[in-house]
Amino acid sequence: MTLLGLPLGTLLELFAAAGGITLVLYILKLRRRPAIVVFAPLWSAAAGEKQSNALFSQLKRWLSLLLQLVLLALLISALGDPRLATVMRSARNVVLLIDASASMKAHDVEGGRMGAARRAAHELISGLSANDRMLIVRADSSVTPLTSLTSDLASLHTAVDHTEATDTGVDLGSALFFARDTLNGKSNPQVIIVSDGALPDFTTLSKELPADLPVRFVPVGSESDNVAITEFSVRRYPLDKSRAQAMIELTNFMQRPVKVQLTLLGDGDPIEITELSLDPQQSLSRFYSNLAGVDQTLQAQIKALDAKDWLSADDRAFALIPARRRAKVAVFSPGNTYLEAALLLDEYLQTSWLRPEQAAPKEPFDVAILDGVAPPSGLRANAVLYLNPPANAAIQRGRALSDFGFDSWDRNHPILRFTALDSVQVSTGFAFKLEATDHVLGSSEQGPIFVTGTRAGQRFAALGFDPRNSDMVLRPAWPLILLNTIDFFTQEEQRYFSNYPTGTPWHISVPAGFDTVTVKRPTGVSQPVSVKQGEITFLGKEAGFYELNATSAGGHWSSKLAADLSSKEESRIAPGKELRGAQGSLAKPDGFASGGRQQLWGYLLLAAFALSVLEWFSYHRRVSV
Amino acid sequence: MNILQWLKKSPSGKALQGAVSSSALFGDDFQRRLEMLALVSRRVFAGRMRAERRSKKKGSGIEFADHRDYVAGDDFRFIDWNIYQRFGKLLVRLYEEEEDLSIYLIVDCSGSMGFAAGKKFDQARRLAAALAYVGLANLDRVTVLAVGSKLSARLPTMRGKKGIFSVLRFLEARSSQGSTDLAEAMRTVVAQHKRRGLAILISDLYDPAGFEAGINVLRYNRFEPCVLHVVDPAEAHPQVRGDVHIVDCESGEGRDVTVSDSLLSRLAQGYADYLRSVERFCAQNQVPYFAADANAPFDELVLKVLRRGGFLR
Repeated sequence: MTLLGLPLGTLLELFAAAGGITLVLYILKLRRRPAIVVFAPLWSAAAGEKQSNALFSQLKRWLSLLLQLVLLALLISALGDPRLATVMRSARNVVLLIDASASMKAHDVEGGRMGAARRAAHELISGLSANDRMLIVRADSSVTPLTSLTSDLASLHTAVDHTEATDTGVDLGSALFFARDTLNGKSNPQVIIVSDGALPDFTTLSKELPADLPVRFVPVGSESDNVAITEFSVRRYPLDKSRAQAMIELTNFMQRPVKVQLTLLGDGDPIEITELSLDPQQSLSRFYSNLAGVDQTLQAQIKALDAKDWLSADDRAFALIPARRRAKVAVFSPGNTYLEAALLLDEYLQTSWLRPEQAAPKEPFDVAILDGVAPPSGLRANAVLYLNPPANAAIQRGRALSDFGFDSWDRNHPILRFTALDSVQVSTGFAFKLEATDHVLGSSEQGPIFVTGTRAGQRFAALGFDPRNSDMVLRPAWPLILLNTIDFFTQEEQRYFSNYPTGTPWHISVPAGFDTVTVKRPTGVSQPVSVKQGEITFLGKEAGFYELNATSAGGHWSSKLAADLSSKEESRIAPGKELRGAQGSLAKPDGFASGGRQQLWGYLLLAAFALSVLEWFSYHRRVSV
Repeated sequence: MNILQWLKKSPSGKALQGAVSSSALFGDDFQRRLEMLALVSRRVFAGRMRAERRSKKKGSGIEFADHRDYVAGDDFRFIDWNIYQRFGKLLVRLYEEEEDLSIYLIVDCSGSMGFAAGKKFDQARRLAAALAYVGLANLDRVTVLAVGSKLSARLPTMRGKKGIFSVLRFLEARSSQGSTDLAEAMRTVVAQHKRRGLAILISDLYDPAGFEAGINVLRYNRFEPCVLHVVDPAEAHPQVRGDVHIVDCESGEGRDVTVSDSLLSRLAQGYADYLRSVERFCAQNQVPYFAADANAPFDELVLKVLRRGGFLR
């Protein structure tokens, strides 16, 4: 027992003084209240001769004195603010890492793993002694400190109550290093991990922690059966954008076969329901090659039919089908039948035919095709395809060439996909002078004749001859090169993802003219995000569909994106009962017995109050008088 | 003529009325009740009072009044043998008493009667006044005596209704104080009143020396004692708790007691035992006994006394 308030000597002096006064008051003869009675002999007969001096009466008097002294002792002891010796150990600084990854959403224990983690955290907080301090950290794909390093139990409990699991993995390394840095230089540091133990890289990470930084582990979870959607993506066919293709991968993490019902929803309506059988630990991929009629969203759901699936967070997956966007193409040409015919093959092109002498329109274009002409002044285009560019074009011409062909070309480049250029014959043309960032798509033995790159922030592709001076326009390669080039520029501009992985930063391009985008999460919560350098960077932790909306004086822009967990690490929910570090298995936290912070003065006052109430009741209910 | 009418006709009526009716104790309402009692008492006495009171003077020079059934204890001399011979039934002849009755109303004026705002004392004085009026209305000789530790005051014997005002003034002037010594007071009473008669003791009987001695003095001197025991049930349940120093209201003697539930219970039991002991004593000695609750209406008590009979004719 240790006194934090008045020292023991002072308390004893106080008790001696107050107790002495009380004793003197009791020793003084009690002045009884006079009571006039009508006939004293009746009272004498009732009271008996020695009633007033009866043993019990005397005993009550001394009991009363004892009670007063006890009350006095309680009150004076409260002034001393006594603490138990176990409470007064040296102050600890604790970082409590609560695993908030998707696997913590498993409901294999009462209240779910997150509920169990919260209960464990509450117990640890309640076990803090008076001088201990704790910092609550939510560890998922990012590290989020929920409190400061504080001894305020209320704020710690509140932070724990507001901790929820997310649809992300866990970045344990960042969390541990954050804890290490936070506790650097602090006395009695300690890190406590509350997790389901699915932390495979902990052994490696623990080697980077100081040896004098004890790490403790509180395991939660009990079951491991789970079946999950581990991959899900969708795309439109390149040459038939009215159709889409989806790929889904299911994984059975159980040790026994399981039957699964897979439901595919297009734009919210079921489009296919299938029953599949998965062997133990099997991953099964399914392709849906023709998703005609589905325009925007795709959602997959699974349901284990003959087994318990303890984690539902990975039973759903979301994807957005790429929008069938019309690419805006400006063609500056004095007249080119082959070019016109090739562009007519793609019905999704919105082509503007312009004469070379015409001024550039004010509207922006995705791609501008310059057929033997220099870029007109004021042209707004994200990318340019030069066909036989003049000398004043952005790309420099090299030496002239004659009777040449494609001796080599990049078959893997999207622009040259599905093309065969080995027998193309060109009468006249020229080679390009390259810059360091330029990429050669095709070249003759005499120099590069088809290149791509960037000039003044604008991407380009340039062909070093007039196609009409070759037989290429008569080959299937000609329209393919044109359309591939347009797709390359437009698709790359969109940087399309059918779904984003949760827990990673997403970079989403935003049209010019918008400063802020409002992101509406799947939970319905909206959040403004600033646009920087034409894109927003956003970290989503919930799986589902996100809505993006932006409004400015120039107009309105909206978009949508999908986010998925799709993490085998998180779907593998088998709990780890122990966590092995560099120095062996982590111990459970100790020294967190409940009530470690109890301040006894409150109880002492309560006891004094209870005694007073007892005495009051005894007196006023005529029990003791 | 009732008392109020008499008051109005009396030359000194205004003065008397003012002297009496100004008191809350003997106000107009009280006087109306007295008149009612006088009327009621005449109906009560008619035909039954005479024979129920076995007086030795009953047989001396008396005018025949009525018959009634013989009951054990009646004097054989009053049996009407002619009736017995003719009808085979034992009937007792009743006679009008020629001699007037002496009634002594002895009011306890000790300090204990004034306890608790004097409820008992007021009730005792009302009872005395009422009985005096009934007696005066029946032309009996009524004497009112105030006693405590001794005979403290005496209203001379009077007859007739007109004497009631003297009675009321006398009672009005009394106060409750001093100690109680019934034996000593009764000895003075019997010494000063040689004419024997009905002695109605109106008292709470709180006599440290014992109530029996006072009553016995009356009995042994051939008075016919009757006890109107004025009681206040609240005295059995005092509102006092804790450590107190009790003081007797008469003697001033005190002692320390700790008042608890058990003590109060014993006190109530002792009070009940005391009442029973008084009643038992009176029954054993053929002394008419009435417990008069200080909180009960006095006229009801008087009627109760009159109906019981035994001391008024």
